[in-house]
Amino acid sequence: MRIPQVERTGDESVIAGVCAGIARPLAVDPNFVRLMFALLAFASGAGIVAYVGAWALLPAPGDGEPARRRRRVLGTVLLVWSAILALGGVGLSDSLLFPLLIAGAGGVLMRRESRVVGVVLVTIAIALFVTHNSRGTASTLLAPGAVAIGLLVVAGPWAWRLANERARAEERADLAARVHDSVLQTLTLIQKQPEDARRLARRQERELRGWLYPAVASGSLADAVDRAAAEIEELHGVRVEVVHTGDAPLDERSQALVLAAREAMANAARHAGVEEISVFVDTTAVYVRDRGTGFDPEAVGADRQGIAESIRGRMERVGGTARIVTTPGEGTEVELSLARRLDGAPQAEGSALPTAEQQP
Amino acid sequence: MIRVVLVDDHDLFRAGVRAQLGDGIEIVGEAASVQEAVPMIKELDPDVVLLDVHLGDGTGDAVIVQVSPERPAVRFLALSVSDAPDDVIGVIRAGAHGYVTKAISGPDLTDAVTRVAGGDAVFSPRLAGFVLDAFRSGEATASDPELDQLTAREREVLQLIARGYRYKEIAARLHLSPRTVESHVSAVLRKLQLSSRHELTRWAAERRLI
Repeated sequence: MRIPQVERTGDESVIAGVCAGIARPLAVDPNFVRLMFALLAFASGAGIVAYVGAWALLPAPGDGEPARRRRRVLGTVLLVWSAILALGGVGLSDSLLFPLLIAGAGGVLMRRESRVVGVVLVTIAIALFVTHNSRGTASTLLAPGAVAIGLLVVAGPWAWRLANERARAEERADLAARVHDSVLQTLTLIQKQPEDARRLARRQERELRGWLYPAVASGSLADAVDRAAAEIEELHGVRVEVVHTGDAPLDERSQALVLAAREAMANAARHAGVEEISVFVDTTAVYVRDRGTGFDPEAVGADRQGIAESIRGRMERVGGTARIVTTPGEGTEVELSLARRLDGAPQAEGSALPTAEQQP
Repeated sequence: MIRVVLVDDHDLFRAGVRAQLGDGIEIVGEAASVQEAVPMIKELDPDVVLLDVHLGDGTGDAVIVQVSPERPAVRFLALSVSDAPDDVIGVIRAGAHGYVTKAISGPDLTDAVTRVAGGDAVFSPRLAGFVLDAFRSGEATASDPELDQLTAREREVLQLIARGYRYKEIAARLHLSPRTVESHVSAVLRKLQLSSRHELTRWAAERRLI
Protein backbone atom coordinates (compact mmCIF):
# COMPACT_ATOMS: atom_id res chain seq x y z
CA MET A 1 0.00 0.00 0.00
CA ARG A 2 1.53 3.30 -1.05
CA ILE A 3 0.86 6.27 1.10
CA PRO A 4 0.02 9.04 -1.33
CA GLN A 5 1.97 12.25 -1.49
CA VAL A 6 4.08 11.59 1.56
CA GLU A 7 7.76 12.17 1.00
CA ARG A 8 10.68 12.28 3.31
CA THR A 9 11.84 15.81 3.63
CA GLY A 10 15.26 17.26 4.09
CA ASP A 11 14.07 20.60 5.38
CA GLU A 12 13.09 19.81 8.95
CA SER A 13 14.72 16.40 9.38
CA VAL A 14 16.18 15.27 12.67
CA ILE A 15 17.20 11.73 11.63
CA ALA A 16 16.02 10.88 8.09
CA GLY A 17 13.10 13.26 7.65
CA VAL A 18 10.48 10.54 8.11
CA CYS A 19 8.49 12.22 10.88
CA ALA A 20 8.58 15.65 9.27
CA GLY A 21 7.56 14.04 5.97
CA ILE A 22 4.55 12.36 7.53
CA ALA A 23 3.61 15.47 9.50
CA ARG A 24 3.54 17.80 6.51
CA PRO A 25 0.55 16.41 4.55
CA LEU A 26 -1.29 15.81 7.83
CA ALA A 27 -0.65 19.42 8.82
CA VAL A 28 0.45 18.49 12.33
CA ASP A 29 3.54 19.36 14.31
CA PRO A 30 6.45 17.02 13.37
CA ASN A 31 7.24 16.67 17.07
CA PHE A 32 3.84 15.08 17.61
CA VAL A 33 4.68 12.40 15.04
CA ARG A 34 8.10 11.91 16.63
CA LEU A 35 6.45 11.45 20.02
CA MET A 36 4.18 8.76 18.53
CA PHE A 37 7.16 6.82 17.19
CA ALA A 38 8.95 7.17 20.52
CA LEU A 39 5.96 5.85 22.47
CA LEU A 40 5.63 2.97 20.01
CA ALA A 41 9.27 2.11 20.60
CA PHE A 42 8.32 1.06 24.14
CA ALA A 43 5.96 -1.57 22.71
CA SER A 44 8.57 -4.27 22.13
CA GLY A 45 10.55 -1.88 19.97
CA ALA A 46 7.74 -1.55 17.43
CA GLY A 47 8.42 2.15 16.98
CA ILE A 48 11.97 1.53 15.85
CA VAL A 49 10.96 -1.10 13.32
CA ALA A 50 8.14 1.15 12.13
CA TYR A 51 10.55 4.04 11.68
CA VAL A 52 12.88 1.94 9.54
CA GLY A 53 9.87 0.60 7.61
CA ALA A 54 8.60 4.11 6.98
CA TRP A 55 12.06 5.22 5.94
CA ALA A 56 12.13 2.38 3.39
CA LEU A 57 8.60 3.06 2.22
CA LEU A 58 8.68 6.80 1.87
CA PRO A 59 10.53 8.07 -1.18
CA ALA A 60 13.00 10.90 -0.91
CA PRO A 61 11.99 13.87 -3.04
CA GLY A 62 14.43 13.03 -5.85
CA ASP A 63 13.78 9.27 -6.14
CA GLY A 64 12.71 7.79 -9.46
CA GLU A 65 9.90 5.27 -9.90
CA PRO A 66 12.08 2.05 -9.95
CA ALA A 67 13.79 2.97 -6.68
CA ARG A 68 10.41 3.61 -5.08
CA ARG A 69 9.03 0.26 -6.20
CA ARG A 70 11.95 -1.71 -4.75
CA ARG A 71 11.65 -0.01 -1.40
CA ARG A 72 7.89 -0.45 -1.24
CA VAL A 73 8.11 -4.23 -0.61
CA LEU A 74 10.74 -3.90 2.10
CA GLY A 75 8.88 -1.06 3.78
CA THR A 76 5.56 -2.90 3.83
CA VAL A 77 7.13 -6.00 5.38
CA LEU A 78 8.79 -3.93 8.08
CA LEU A 79 5.62 -2.02 8.87
CA VAL A 80 3.56 -5.21 9.22
CA TRP A 81 6.26 -6.62 11.50
CA SER A 82 6.15 -3.50 13.66
CA ALA A 83 2.37 -3.67 13.81
CA ILE A 84 2.59 -7.24 15.16
CA LEU A 85 5.20 -6.14 17.68
CA ALA A 86 3.15 -3.16 18.75
CA LEU A 87 -0.06 -5.08 19.21
CA GLY A 88 1.77 -7.88 21.05
CA GLY A 89 3.50 -5.21 23.13
CA VAL A 90 0.28 -3.68 24.39
CA GLY A 91 -0.86 -7.15 25.41
CA LEU A 92 -3.23 -8.21 22.65
CA SER A 93 -3.54 -11.92 22.08
CA ASP A 94 -3.10 -13.84 18.87
CA SER A 95 -6.85 -14.12 18.56
CA LEU A 96 -6.87 -10.42 17.75
CA LEU A 97 -3.61 -10.31 15.79
CA PHE A 98 -4.44 -12.84 13.11
CA PRO A 99 -7.90 -11.54 12.27
CA LEU A 100 -6.30 -8.11 11.99
CA LEU A 101 -3.67 -9.42 9.57
CA ILE A 102 -6.31 -11.16 7.45
CA ALA A 103 -8.43 -8.02 7.46
CA GLY A 104 -5.39 -5.99 6.40
CA ALA A 105 -4.67 -8.35 3.53
CA GLY A 106 -8.34 -8.15 2.55
CA GLY A 107 -8.15 -4.39 2.58
CA VAL A 108 -5.14 -4.36 0.28
CA LEU A 109 -6.80 -6.76 -2.13
CA MET A 110 -9.91 -4.63 -2.19
CA ARG A 111 -7.97 -1.64 -3.49
CA ARG A 112 -6.71 -3.74 -6.38
CA GLU A 113 -8.84 -5.71 -8.80
CA SER A 114 -9.94 -8.61 -6.60
CA ARG A 115 -12.53 -6.69 -4.64
CA VAL A 116 -14.72 -9.73 -3.93
CA VAL A 117 -11.83 -11.70 -2.42
CA GLY A 118 -11.01 -8.69 -0.28
CA VAL A 119 -14.54 -8.39 1.09
CA VAL A 120 -14.59 -12.13 1.83
CA LEU A 121 -11.28 -11.88 3.70
CA VAL A 122 -12.46 -8.97 5.80
CA THR A 123 -15.67 -10.77 6.63
CA ILE A 124 -13.73 -13.91 7.63
CA ALA A 125 -11.46 -11.82 9.83
CA ILE A 126 -14.37 -10.24 11.68
CA ALA A 127 -16.08 -13.62 12.13
CA LEU A 128 -12.85 -15.21 13.35
CA PHE A 129 -12.31 -12.49 15.88
CA VAL A 130 -15.83 -12.57 17.23
CA THR A 131 -15.93 -16.40 17.60
CA HIS A 132 -12.46 -16.54 19.22
CA ASN A 133 -13.33 -13.94 21.77
CA SER A 134 -16.93 -14.76 22.50
CA ARG A 135 -16.04 -16.51 25.78
CA GLY A 136 -13.47 -13.98 26.93
CA THR A 137 -14.25 -11.03 29.11
CA ALA A 138 -12.01 -8.06 28.45
CA SER A 139 -11.48 -8.81 24.78
CA THR A 140 -15.21 -8.97 24.16
CA LEU A 141 -15.31 -5.28 24.69
CA LEU A 142 -13.12 -4.96 21.64
CA ALA A 143 -15.57 -6.77 19.35
CA PRO A 144 -17.54 -3.68 18.31
CA GLY A 145 -14.20 -2.00 17.65
CA ALA A 146 -13.24 -4.86 15.36
CA VAL A 147 -16.44 -4.48 13.39
CA ALA A 148 -15.80 -0.75 13.13
CA ILE A 149 -12.27 -1.36 11.85
CA GLY A 150 -13.65 -3.83 9.35
CA LEU A 151 -16.10 -1.27 8.06
CA LEU A 152 -13.35 1.33 7.90
CA VAL A 153 -11.24 -0.98 5.78
CA VAL A 154 -14.15 -1.61 3.46
CA ALA A 155 -15.30 1.99 3.17
CA GLY A 156 -11.94 3.70 3.48
CA PRO A 157 -10.74 3.46 -0.14
CA TRP A 158 -14.10 4.63 -1.39
CA ALA A 159 -14.07 7.65 0.91
CA TRP A 160 -10.52 8.38 -0.16
CA ARG A 161 -11.47 8.39 -3.81
CA LEU A 162 -14.41 10.67 -3.09
CA ALA A 163 -12.16 13.15 -1.34
CA ASN A 164 -9.74 12.98 -4.26
CA GLU A 165 -12.47 13.81 -6.73
CA ARG A 166 -13.50 16.82 -4.73
CA ALA A 167 -9.91 17.98 -4.63
CA ARG A 168 -9.73 17.70 -8.40
CA ALA A 169 -12.91 19.74 -8.83
CA GLU A 170 -11.48 22.41 -6.58
CA GLU A 171 -8.28 22.41 -8.55
CA ARG A 172 -10.22 23.00 -11.72
CA ALA A 173 -12.22 25.80 -10.15
CA ASP A 174 -8.95 27.35 -9.06
CA LEU A 175 -7.57 27.08 -12.57
CA ALA A 176 -10.71 28.64 -13.99
CA ALA A 177 -10.43 31.54 -11.59
CA ARG A 178 -6.78 31.97 -12.50
CA VAL A 179 -7.31 32.01 -16.24
CA HIS A 180 -10.29 34.20 -15.71
CA ASP A 181 -8.23 36.72 -13.82
CA SER A 182 -5.23 36.77 -16.08
CA VAL A 183 -6.00 36.09 -19.68
CA LEU A 184 -9.55 37.36 -19.77
CA GLN A 185 -8.50 40.57 -18.06
CA THR A 186 -5.67 41.08 -20.47
CA LEU A 187 -7.84 40.36 -23.45
CA THR A 188 -10.42 42.82 -22.23
CA LEU A 189 -7.71 45.44 -21.95
CA ILE A 190 -6.35 44.74 -25.39
CA GLN A 191 -9.77 45.37 -26.81
CA LYS A 192 -9.47 48.96 -25.75
CA GLN A 193 -6.37 49.23 -27.99
CA PRO A 194 -6.33 49.69 -31.77
CA GLU A 195 -7.68 47.64 -34.59
CA ASP A 196 -5.90 44.35 -35.31
CA ALA A 197 -5.45 43.37 -31.71
CA ARG A 198 -9.12 43.90 -31.07
CA ARG A 199 -10.32 41.28 -33.51
CA LEU A 200 -7.82 38.75 -32.24
CA ALA A 201 -8.59 39.49 -28.65
CA ARG A 202 -12.30 39.18 -29.21
CA ARG A 203 -11.92 35.80 -30.83
CA GLN A 204 -9.64 34.51 -28.08
CA GLU A 205 -11.93 35.82 -25.43
CA ARG A 206 -14.83 34.00 -27.00
CA GLU A 207 -12.90 30.76 -27.29
CA LEU A 208 -11.70 30.97 -23.73
CA ARG A 209 -15.15 31.73 -22.43
CA GLY A 210 -16.46 28.74 -24.33
CA TRP A 211 -13.92 26.59 -22.57
CA LEU A 212 -14.34 28.05 -19.10
CA TYR A 213 -18.10 28.31 -19.05
CA PRO A 214 -19.18 25.66 -21.53
CA ALA A 215 -22.67 26.24 -22.78
CA VAL A 216 -24.73 23.19 -23.55
CA ALA A 217 -24.78 23.08 -27.33
CA SER A 218 -28.44 22.42 -27.82
CA GLY A 219 -28.84 23.63 -31.38
CA SER A 220 -31.40 26.08 -30.07
CA LEU A 221 -32.41 29.56 -31.15
CA ALA A 222 -30.13 31.27 -28.63
CA ASP A 223 -27.19 29.09 -29.71
CA ALA A 224 -27.75 29.93 -33.35
CA VAL A 225 -27.93 33.66 -32.63
CA ASP A 226 -24.74 33.38 -30.57
CA ARG A 227 -23.00 31.71 -33.49
CA ALA A 228 -24.26 34.31 -35.96
CA ALA A 229 -23.04 37.06 -33.64
CA ALA A 230 -19.63 35.41 -33.43
CA GLU A 231 -19.42 35.32 -37.24
CA ILE A 232 -20.30 38.99 -37.50
CA GLU A 233 -17.69 39.87 -34.89
CA GLU A 234 -15.13 37.90 -36.82
CA LEU A 235 -16.05 39.40 -40.21
CA HIS A 236 -16.45 43.02 -39.21
CA GLY A 237 -14.35 43.46 -36.10
CA VAL A 238 -17.20 44.80 -34.00
CA ARG A 239 -18.37 43.65 -30.60
CA VAL A 240 -21.76 41.99 -30.52
CA GLU A 241 -23.29 41.66 -27.06
CA VAL A 242 -25.92 38.96 -27.03
CA VAL A 243 -28.29 38.77 -24.07
CA HIS A 244 -30.90 36.06 -23.90
CA THR A 245 -33.77 35.51 -21.53
CA GLY A 246 -35.48 32.70 -23.31
CA ASP A 247 -34.77 29.98 -25.77
CA ALA A 248 -36.60 27.81 -28.24
CA PRO A 249 -35.82 24.80 -30.39
CA LEU A 250 -34.60 25.62 -33.85
CA ASP A 251 -37.15 24.94 -36.57
CA GLU A 252 -37.79 26.39 -40.00
CA ARG A 253 -39.38 29.54 -38.61
CA SER A 254 -36.80 30.30 -35.95
CA GLN A 255 -34.11 29.51 -38.52
CA ALA A 256 -35.51 32.37 -40.63
CA LEU A 257 -35.47 34.54 -37.51
CA VAL A 258 -31.78 33.79 -37.00
CA LEU A 259 -30.89 34.55 -40.62
CA ALA A 260 -32.81 37.83 -40.53
CA ALA A 261 -31.09 38.76 -37.28
CA ARG A 262 -27.73 37.96 -38.80
CA GLU A 263 -28.46 40.26 -41.71
CA ALA A 264 -29.52 43.01 -39.30
CA MET A 265 -26.25 42.59 -37.38
CA ALA A 266 -24.26 42.68 -40.60
CA ASN A 267 -26.03 45.90 -41.66
CA ALA A 268 -25.30 47.50 -38.32
CA ALA A 269 -21.65 46.44 -38.49
CA ARG A 270 -21.26 47.73 -42.06
CA HIS A 271 -23.24 50.96 -42.02
CA ALA A 272 -23.79 52.21 -38.49
CA GLY A 273 -20.16 53.05 -37.78
CA VAL A 274 -20.26 51.66 -34.24
CA GLU A 275 -18.03 49.34 -32.27
CA GLU A 276 -20.76 47.60 -30.36
CA ILE A 277 -24.09 46.09 -31.31
CA SER A 278 -26.65 44.89 -28.76
CA VAL A 279 -28.67 41.78 -29.49
CA PHE A 280 -31.50 40.55 -27.30
CA VAL A 281 -33.06 37.13 -27.80
CA ASP A 282 -36.37 35.93 -26.41
CA THR A 283 -38.32 32.80 -27.26
CA THR A 284 -39.94 34.24 -30.38
CA ALA A 285 -38.18 37.53 -30.97
CA VAL A 286 -34.77 39.00 -31.62
CA TYR A 287 -33.82 42.67 -31.28
CA VAL A 288 -30.74 44.10 -32.91
CA ARG A 289 -29.77 47.54 -31.76
CA ASP A 290 -26.95 49.95 -32.52
CA ARG A 291 -26.26 53.54 -31.51
CA GLY A 292 -24.79 54.49 -34.86
CA THR A 293 -25.58 56.91 -37.64
CA GLY A 294 -29.08 55.65 -38.34
CA PHE A 295 -30.62 56.20 -41.76
CA ASP A 296 -33.69 57.39 -43.59
CA PRO A 297 -35.61 54.26 -44.68
CA GLU A 298 -37.18 56.20 -47.57
CA ALA A 299 -33.79 57.01 -48.97
CA VAL A 300 -32.59 53.43 -49.25
CA GLY A 301 -32.39 52.57 -52.95
CA ALA A 302 -34.61 49.89 -54.40
CA ASP A 303 -31.51 48.02 -55.54
CA ARG A 304 -30.49 47.42 -51.97
CA GLN A 305 -31.93 44.05 -51.16
CA GLY A 306 -30.64 43.76 -47.61
CA ILE A 307 -33.62 45.07 -45.70
CA ALA A 308 -36.41 44.35 -48.18
CA GLU A 309 -35.50 40.77 -48.94
CA SER A 310 -33.11 39.39 -46.36
CA ILE A 311 -34.92 40.84 -43.38
CA ARG A 312 -38.51 41.80 -44.10
CA GLY A 313 -39.27 39.25 -46.82
CA ARG A 314 -37.69 36.45 -44.87
CA MET A 315 -39.74 37.19 -41.75
CA GLU A 316 -42.99 37.58 -43.67
CA ARG A 317 -42.57 34.27 -45.45
CA VAL A 318 -42.65 32.47 -42.10
CA GLY A 319 -45.56 34.55 -40.82
CA GLY A 320 -43.49 36.88 -38.68
CA THR A 321 -42.79 40.57 -38.70
CA ALA A 322 -39.82 42.88 -39.00
CA ARG A 323 -39.90 46.44 -37.78
CA ILE A 324 -37.10 48.92 -38.17
CA VAL A 325 -36.94 51.94 -35.92
CA THR A 326 -34.28 54.38 -37.01
CA THR A 327 -33.50 58.06 -36.79
CA PRO A 328 -30.53 59.63 -38.51
CA GLY A 329 -27.93 60.32 -35.85
CA GLU A 330 -29.54 58.23 -33.14
CA GLY A 331 -29.07 54.67 -34.26
CA THR A 332 -31.25 51.83 -35.35
CA GLU A 333 -33.20 49.00 -33.81
CA VAL A 334 -34.45 46.09 -35.83
CA GLU A 335 -37.23 44.18 -34.11
CA LEU A 336 -37.86 40.71 -35.46
CA SER A 337 -40.74 38.67 -34.20
CA LEU A 338 -42.33 35.38 -35.13
CA ALA A 339 -45.64 36.38 -33.56
CA ARG A 340 -48.50 38.40 -35.07
CA ARG A 341 -51.38 40.14 -33.44
CA LEU A 342 -54.80 38.61 -34.01
CA ASP A 343 -55.85 41.49 -36.24
CA GLY A 344 -52.85 40.86 -38.42
CA ALA A 345 -51.13 44.13 -37.61
CA PRO A 346 -47.41 43.94 -36.97
CA GLN A 347 -46.62 43.35 -33.35
CA ALA A 348 -43.60 44.74 -31.66
CA GLU A 349 -43.14 42.17 -28.94
CA GLY A 350 -43.17 38.42 -29.07
CA SER A 351 -46.15 36.67 -27.56
CA ALA A 352 -43.98 35.22 -24.82
CA LEU A 353 -43.39 38.70 -23.50
CA PRO A 354 -45.82 39.66 -20.81
CA THR A 355 -46.36 43.31 -21.62
CA ALA A 356 -47.88 45.06 -24.59
CA GLU A 357 -45.91 47.76 -26.29
CA GLN A 358 -47.45 51.21 -26.27
CA GLN A 359 -45.15 52.57 -28.94
CA PRO A 360 -46.58 52.60 -32.48
CA MET B 1 -16.62 65.25 -6.31
CA ILE B 2 -17.44 61.56 -5.96
CA ARG B 3 -14.87 59.72 -3.85
CA VAL B 4 -14.09 56.26 -5.19
CA VAL B 5 -12.04 53.33 -3.92
CA LEU B 6 -10.91 50.95 -6.65
CA VAL B 7 -10.53 47.28 -5.74
CA ASP B 8 -8.95 45.04 -8.37
CA ASP B 9 -6.03 42.66 -8.17
CA HIS B 10 -4.52 43.81 -11.46
CA ASP B 11 -2.38 46.96 -11.50
CA LEU B 12 -2.81 47.30 -15.21
CA PHE B 13 -6.54 47.26 -15.00
CA ARG B 14 -6.61 49.77 -12.16
CA ALA B 15 -4.41 52.05 -14.27
CA GLY B 16 -6.86 51.69 -17.15
CA VAL B 17 -9.85 52.58 -15.00
CA ARG B 18 -8.00 55.53 -13.46
CA ALA B 19 -7.28 56.90 -16.92
CA GLN B 20 -10.84 56.41 -18.10
CA LEU B 21 -12.88 57.84 -15.27
CA GLY B 22 -14.06 61.34 -16.11
CA ASP B 23 -14.15 64.61 -14.22
CA GLY B 24 -16.08 64.73 -11.01
CA ILE B 25 -14.68 61.41 -9.83
CA GLU B 26 -11.68 61.16 -7.56
CA ILE B 27 -9.95 57.88 -6.77
CA VAL B 28 -9.03 58.15 -3.12
CA GLY B 29 -7.69 54.65 -2.64
CA GLU B 30 -6.75 51.45 -4.41
CA ALA B 31 -6.65 47.93 -3.05
CA ALA B 32 -5.67 44.64 -4.62
CA SER B 33 -7.17 42.11 -2.23
CA VAL B 34 -10.02 41.50 0.18
CA GLN B 35 -7.64 41.84 3.09
CA GLU B 36 -6.37 45.18 1.88
CA ALA B 37 -9.73 46.51 0.78
CA VAL B 38 -11.83 46.00 3.91
CA PRO B 39 -9.84 48.20 6.34
CA MET B 40 -9.12 50.75 3.61
CA ILE B 41 -12.80 51.22 2.76
CA LYS B 42 -13.73 51.43 6.42
CA GLU B 43 -11.10 54.10 6.97
CA LEU B 44 -11.63 56.19 3.84
CA ASP B 45 -15.44 55.92 3.86
CA PRO B 46 -15.79 56.59 0.10
CA ASP B 47 -19.02 57.23 -1.78
CA VAL B 48 -18.53 54.35 -4.19
CA VAL B 49 -16.35 51.24 -4.31
CA LEU B 50 -15.55 49.87 -7.76
CA LEU B 51 -15.20 46.21 -6.97
CA ASP B 52 -13.77 43.36 -9.02
CA VAL B 53 -15.68 40.13 -8.52
CA HIS B 54 -12.58 37.91 -8.40
CA LEU B 55 -9.76 38.96 -6.12
CA GLY B 56 -6.61 37.04 -5.30
CA ASP B 57 -7.71 36.08 -1.79
CA GLY B 58 -11.44 35.86 -2.20
CA THR B 59 -14.45 37.25 -3.98
CA GLY B 60 -15.97 40.70 -4.12
CA ASP B 61 -19.03 39.77 -2.10
CA ALA B 62 -16.74 39.05 0.88
CA VAL B 63 -15.69 42.70 0.82
CA ILE B 64 -19.28 43.90 0.76
CA VAL B 65 -20.34 41.60 3.57
CA GLN B 66 -17.48 42.77 5.81
CA VAL B 67 -17.81 46.47 5.10
CA SER B 68 -21.56 47.05 4.91
CA PRO B 69 -22.51 46.53 8.57
CA GLU B 70 -20.06 49.25 9.63
CA ARG B 71 -20.36 51.54 6.65
CA PRO B 72 -23.88 51.18 5.30
CA ALA B 73 -23.57 54.39 3.25
CA VAL B 74 -20.78 53.01 1.05
CA ARG B 75 -22.16 51.82 -2.28
CA PHE B 76 -20.64 49.11 -4.38
CA LEU B 77 -20.49 48.80 -8.14
CA ALA B 78 -19.25 45.43 -9.31
CA LEU B 79 -16.94 45.38 -12.29
CA SER B 80 -15.96 42.10 -13.85
CA VAL B 81 -15.03 40.29 -17.03
CA SER B 82 -17.22 37.44 -15.97
CA ASP B 83 -20.62 36.87 -17.49
CA ALA B 84 -21.24 33.81 -15.36
CA PRO B 85 -24.66 34.09 -13.73
CA ASP B 86 -23.41 32.94 -10.33
CA ASP B 87 -20.84 35.75 -10.21
CA VAL B 88 -23.40 38.31 -11.20
CA ILE B 89 -26.14 37.18 -8.86
CA GLY B 90 -23.73 36.50 -5.99
CA VAL B 91 -22.36 40.01 -5.84
CA ILE B 92 -25.78 41.62 -6.32
CA ARG B 93 -27.25 39.48 -3.57
CA ALA B 94 -24.43 40.59 -1.28
CA GLY B 95 -25.59 44.18 -1.75
CA ALA B 96 -23.90 45.68 -4.79
CA HIS B 97 -25.86 48.47 -6.46
CA GLY B 98 -25.02 47.34 -9.92
CA TYR B 99 -22.92 45.20 -12.17
CA VAL B 100 -21.08 46.22 -15.30
CA THR B 101 -18.62 44.28 -17.39
CA LYS B 102 -15.07 45.51 -17.84
CA ALA B 103 -15.57 46.08 -21.55
CA ILE B 104 -17.68 49.12 -20.61
CA SER B 105 -16.55 52.40 -22.18
CA GLY B 106 -15.03 55.19 -20.08
CA PRO B 107 -18.01 57.57 -20.32
CA ASP B 108 -20.45 54.76 -19.54
CA LEU B 109 -18.41 53.78 -16.49
CA THR B 110 -18.30 57.39 -15.30
CA ASP B 111 -22.04 57.56 -15.76
CA ALA B 112 -22.54 54.30 -13.84
CA VAL B 113 -20.40 55.49 -10.91
CA THR B 114 -22.32 58.77 -10.76
CA ARG B 115 -25.59 56.90 -10.81
CA VAL B 116 -24.56 54.52 -8.05
CA ALA B 117 -23.28 57.44 -5.94
CA GLY B 118 -26.74 58.97 -6.25
CA GLY B 119 -28.28 55.82 -4.84
CA ASP B 120 -29.56 54.37 -8.09
CA ALA B 121 -29.07 50.89 -9.42
CA VAL B 122 -27.01 50.16 -12.51
CA PHE B 123 -28.10 47.27 -14.65
CA SER B 124 -26.02 46.23 -17.62
CA PRO B 125 -27.97 44.56 -20.44
CA ARG B 126 -26.63 41.21 -19.35
CA LEU B 127 -27.63 41.62 -15.73
CA ALA B 128 -31.09 42.68 -16.89
CA GLY B 129 -31.25 39.48 -18.93
CA PHE B 130 -30.31 37.34 -15.94
CA VAL B 131 -32.89 39.01 -13.75
CA LEU B 132 -35.62 38.62 -16.35
CA ASP B 133 -34.68 35.00 -16.64
CA ALA B 134 -34.73 34.51 -12.89
CA PHE B 135 -38.09 36.19 -12.42
CA ARG B 136 -39.55 34.72 -15.58
CA SER B 137 -43.29 34.90 -15.15
CA GLY B 138 -44.50 31.38 -14.90
CA GLU B 139 -46.80 29.50 -12.65
CA ALA B 140 -48.09 31.77 -9.95
CA THR B 141 -46.15 31.19 -6.75
CA ALA B 142 -48.27 30.84 -3.69
CA SER B 143 -46.40 32.99 -1.22
CA ASP B 144 -45.36 36.59 -1.12
CA PRO B 145 -45.99 37.57 -4.72
CA GLU B 146 -45.20 41.19 -3.81
CA LEU B 147 -41.61 40.29 -3.25
CA ASP B 148 -41.01 37.49 -5.62
CA GLN B 149 -42.43 38.87 -8.79
CA LEU B 150 -41.78 41.82 -10.99
CA THR B 151 -44.53 44.17 -12.01
CA ALA B 152 -45.39 44.45 -15.68
CA ARG B 153 -43.73 47.85 -15.80
CA GLU B 154 -40.53 46.63 -14.15
CA ARG B 155 -40.39 43.79 -16.61
CA GLU B 156 -40.85 46.20 -19.48
CA VAL B 157 -38.05 48.44 -18.21
CA LEU B 158 -35.70 45.50 -17.72
CA GLN B 159 -36.45 44.24 -21.18
CA LEU B 160 -35.46 47.55 -22.73
CA ILE B 161 -32.27 47.57 -20.67
CA ALA B 162 -31.52 44.08 -21.95
CA ARG B 163 -32.06 45.38 -25.48
CA GLY B 164 -29.35 47.97 -24.93
CA TYR B 165 -31.46 51.03 -24.14
CA ARG B 166 -30.22 53.72 -21.77
CA TYR B 167 -32.45 55.03 -19.00
CA LYS B 168 -33.19 58.25 -20.88
CA GLU B 169 -34.17 56.33 -24.00
CA ILE B 170 -36.39 54.03 -21.96
CA ALA B 171 -38.09 57.01 -20.36
CA ALA B 172 -38.78 58.53 -23.77
CA ARG B 173 -40.04 55.28 -25.17
CA LEU B 174 -42.38 54.47 -22.30
CA HIS B 175 -43.46 58.09 -21.78
CA LEU B 176 -42.10 58.13 -18.26
CA SER B 177 -39.79 60.53 -16.48
CA PRO B 178 -36.18 59.33 -16.15
CA ARG B 179 -36.70 59.47 -12.39
CA THR B 180 -39.54 56.96 -12.64
CA VAL B 181 -37.42 54.61 -14.71
CA GLU B 182 -34.73 54.79 -12.04
CA SER B 183 -37.19 54.01 -9.28
CA HIS B 184 -38.38 50.94 -11.20
CA VAL B 185 -34.83 49.72 -11.54
CA SER B 186 -34.12 50.34 -7.87
CA ALA B 187 -37.24 48.40 -6.96
CA VAL B 188 -36.02 45.45 -9.02
CA LEU B 189 -32.66 45.56 -7.25
CA ARG B 190 -34.37 45.55 -3.88
CA LYS B 191 -36.45 42.55 -4.85
CA LEU B 192 -33.32 40.76 -6.02
CA GLN B 193 -31.58 41.37 -2.71
CA LEU B 194 -34.58 40.60 -0.53
CA SER B 195 -36.23 37.67 -2.19
CA SER B 196 -34.32 34.71 -0.98
CA ARG B 197 -36.82 32.16 -2.11
CA HIS B 198 -38.98 30.93 -4.92
CA GLU B 199 -38.27 32.37 -8.34
CA LEU B 200 -34.65 33.22 -7.72
CA THR B 201 -33.94 30.10 -5.75
CA ARG B 202 -35.48 27.88 -8.34
CA TRP B 203 -33.69 29.67 -11.13
CA ALA B 204 -30.40 29.39 -9.32
CA ALA B 205 -31.00 25.74 -8.55
CA GLU B 206 -31.65 25.02 -12.20
CA ARG B 207 -28.25 26.45 -12.95
CA ARG B 208 -26.68 24.69 -9.98
CA LEU B 209 -25.71 28.01 -8.45
CA ILE B 210 -26.74 27.04 -4.96
